[in-house]
Amino acid sequence: MNPGTMSDIFNGPAALAVSPLVTLTVGVLLLLVAEMFPSLARLRSVLFVGSILSAVWCETVILAKQPGLVLDDTFMANATTAAWGGIFLCSTLIAWTFGQRYYRADRTLIGEHDVLMLTTPIGMMVMAGAQDLVVFFIGLELLSIPLYCLAAFRRARNDSVEAGLKYFVLGAFAVAMFLYGAALLYTNTGTLSLVELRQTGVTSALGLAGVALIVGSLFFKVSVFPFHLWVPDVYQGSPTPVTTLMATGTKAAGFAVLLNMAFLLPPEAAGVIALIALLTMAVGNLGALVQEDLKRMLAYSGIAHAGTVLLVIAGTLAGDPERGATQAALYYLAAYAFTAGGAFGLIAWLEADGERFTKLESIKGLARRRPGVAAALALFMLSLGGIPATGGFLGKWLVFSVVVRADMIAVAIVGILLSVVALGYYLRVVVAMYMEPELEGQAPPMTRRPWASIAAGVCVAMVLVLGLLPGMFLDRLR
Amino acid sequence: MTSLAWLTFLPLLGALVVAAAPARASLLRAITLGTTLVVALMGVAVYASFDVTQSGPQFVTEAAWFTLLGGIDVHFKLGVDGLSILMVALTTVLMPLIVLSTKGHIHSRVKEFMIWLLVMETGMLGVFLSLDLVLFYFFWEVSLVPLYFILGIWGGERRLYATVKFFLYTVAGSLVMLIAAIALIYHASLQNAVSTTDIGALTRWSANQPLAVQGWLFAGFALAFAIKVPVLPFHTWLADAHTEAPTSGSVILAGVLLKMGTYGLLRFGLAMFPAASVAASPLFMVLGALGIVYGAFLAMAQTDIKRLVACSSVSHLGYVIVGLFALERTGVTGSVLQMVNHGLSTGLLFLLIGMVYERRHTRNLDDFGGLAASMPVFAFLFVFAVLSSAGLPGLNGFVGEWLILLGSFQAAPWVACISVLGVVFGAVYLLMATRKMLFGPLDRDENRAVSDVTGRELLIAAPIVALCIWIGVGPQSFLGRTEKSLEVVFERLDAARSSLELGRFDTPHTRRETGEVR
Repeated sequence: MNPGTMSDIFNGPAALAVSPLVTLTVGVLLLLVAEMFPSLARLRSVLFVGSILSAVWCETVILAKQPGLVLDDTFMANATTAAWGGIFLCSTLIAWTFGQRYYRADRTLIGEHDVLMLTTPIGMMVMAGAQDLVVFFIGLELLSIPLYCLAAFRRARNDSVEAGLKYFVLGAFAVAMFLYGAALLYTNTGTLSLVELRQTGVTSALGLAGVALIVGSLFFKVSVFPFHLWVPDVYQGSPTPVTTLMATGTKAAGFAVLLNMAFLLPPEAAGVIALIALLTMAVGNLGALVQEDLKRMLAYSGIAHAGTVLLVIAGTLAGDPERGATQAALYYLAAYAFTAGGAFGLIAWLEADGERFTKLESIKGLARRRPGVAAALALFMLSLGGIPATGGFLGKWLVFSVVVRADMIAVAIVGILLSVVALGYYLRVVVAMYMEPELEGQAPPMTRRPWASIAAGVCVAMVLVLGLLPGMFLDRLR
Repeated sequence: MTSLAWLTFLPLLGALVVAAAPARASLLRAITLGTTLVVALMGVAVYASFDVTQSGPQFVTEAAWFTLLGGIDVHFKLGVDGLSILMVALTTVLMPLIVLSTKGHIHSRVKEFMIWLLVMETGMLGVFLSLDLVLFYFFWEVSLVPLYFILGIWGGERRLYATVKFFLYTVAGSLVMLIAAIALIYHASLQNAVSTTDIGALTRWSANQPLAVQGWLFAGFALAFAIKVPVLPFHTWLADAHTEAPTSGSVILAGVLLKMGTYGLLRFGLAMFPAASVAASPLFMVLGALGIVYGAFLAMAQTDIKRLVACSSVSHLGYVIVGLFALERTGVTGSVLQMVNHGLSTGLLFLLIGMVYERRHTRNLDDFGGLAASMPVFAFLFVFAVLSSAGLPGLNGFVGEWLILLGSFQAAPWVACISVLGVVFGAVYLLMATRKMLFGPLDRDENRAVSDVTGRELLIAAPIVALCIWIGVGPQSFLGRTEKSLEVVFERLDAARSSLELGRFDTPHTRRETGEVR
């Protein structure tokens, strides 16, 4: 590698490639400034939404111009990373919007909350674009550290602190695993650049052990069996807007990286990955089946969905000549971001009126009192279950296409039957809302919340658009 | 947009109008009735102007939808051919009658009900009209959702159990079909550059594949359809769903939804995988015959009249299966007609049972007796429906059953002999139920007080009665529309059968061997 001068490295394409990162960083700094002056408090939401939307605009420019490899081959900006960036930004915006008026006792620190939350997509985008393990590591920390704080944001509550601590301890463990793996890989190959690794490949046992450790640490981030144990407690203890972000954005970032690094794994690993994916689906779906709390149920459902996306990785290892894996994972996770984002968001809405309202029995008969909210939640459930006319269906179609194309028919059939189990608990939610009478004194008041209504409306619209007009997105992702 | 797109999506538009309309039951019902009537008129117009000399799809509407990876184009393609024309006509004609019947039994949440009813119609028509595999699958699964709500909200006491069972059973089948569909699309695009999901193109590809390829794909598709029909070991969801559903739900279920299964077996079984159908024919014929007899025995043991009719559905659909998998002109033609017949006569039976339930709030056969004296017109209609269902010559059921038995006797005499038992048993349980309900002494005060059918109820029954007689007297005008398209299926089946006999469809190894012999 020939180190060039600063101006060589930081050229036009590079400026474009990092423009979303810069935009968000400026947004974060401005938020910090606004935080200092009470009179500027009202500007906060404008700044937050403004930075996200500007970053989205930057991503659309990247999508059109595709700068490619920049910054001395350490960062990639193309249509795929732009699409990932879009998912990260949308999930952050959804999580933030549903978080408006969510916090009560902790409102005094809401400025910090917004700053931390706006930092996370920067980390995710760095992770997704990284072509060098060091750059990736920076992204990982940029994402994780704010999330640790956010998970424990409701300081007065034990479960929130517990969630933060659990996430931090296990996260630190995963980070250590990653660093150890990267070190082993470096000893073996002498490089940390994915571009160079792609040419040399990893062959020795030591190098493969390093790869396994790296992949294991990513499995932790995307909540895949057997690294999923933290999920139910952390998802439930964290403030729901933060859970939303973890479930959608963080998971998408993890898979973006996994797809990026899948080439490090030998093709023979396909069977193992497929088995892990199926186990993850089984653990998630069976766990969700017995939950009485909506938030915890969705946490388990999130594990199951991670398993489904992991099937794509198995497929891409077993042979994927047309590179449909990235497209399938992107589509699936985009649909999941809006679906699970919306569903968690509605749970945040319930929860804001009282902790006990996230129980399944408290939404009995909701359809009669709040038909709009019930219809939205029902749509999200059907989309999570993969019923057509929703984005979830097409995501499922694409994921299983990858699996079938890789000739893993048995895996496909077991996987698809596991998703029948999933419908069992998604239907319970619909049954409770539409088909069962309201319980006396259990019904959530559901105070009107304009922010949450808007966010839910956008999620509903996106779930339907992704389900009915897939061409709008698929054509840009090839 | 051309006629078929309007036909399919007009109900959905109607649903939007209903959603926006003020919540006055009579108004909502009027909008729904109006929409379904317009759709029915369009359906009849399509039926009337259907060109009987063509075998391919007619009134085709096509537009690009999206492109899957590998350049596989998914089209929004609708069209009607001989395999679907009767189903489309049946669906459009039954719907207004179903809407009329709701006045008697849907009193709460009328708006939601009308919306689901209209969405249901779009889903069902979409299934029958789709000429693209992705679109077909799309409608196939979408049509589950409205019925799930109809059953779950307006159903009887055990509705939640029935509705979840119904949904999970069918979804499990459909998802296996999803894998088969993906595999079909992928393999077709890989080997022959059929870079489309057009059903016609895929059929032409798959019909020429060796049995080893056809077999697995057929198994995936057939499982979904067998659950939907339902074929024997998968029948348990049906009795629960039928019994718990509100009258209109039962009519949709019996009249149209189950036919989606038999229609699927025809289009995606016989037509698409002829060699596999030939190979699976003994299995399906035996299962069909067992279904006929077992369903009849189940029906005989019932004391709930609605459950009795539900079990008789299992028996009647057994005939359709036997006829289809006789893989022979007479039998398949009979089955196509029997799909319509079952929709009409069982639909009418459910409607009539609904009417008497609205008056007496019981369906237990022992609670009735002598109703013929207090409800003469109802009694006439009920006896008519029973006779049509039992296959009295001169009515529709006779023609279908006759053709099926004739066809299956040629293909597999033993199966036909077992199936014939169903005709006898069918007459037994239906006539026994009729005797218990309508005749005998009128010894209960409640039964003396019931009023006869109203004008509205007569209006519901009259078109079905007329159609039953029409089909019974002149079946050729109905069968003529299916002939040309079925001819193509038969040609494929004949080709597959002769190839199988020559061993050409066997494994590559034996293929080489027989090649030497030839």
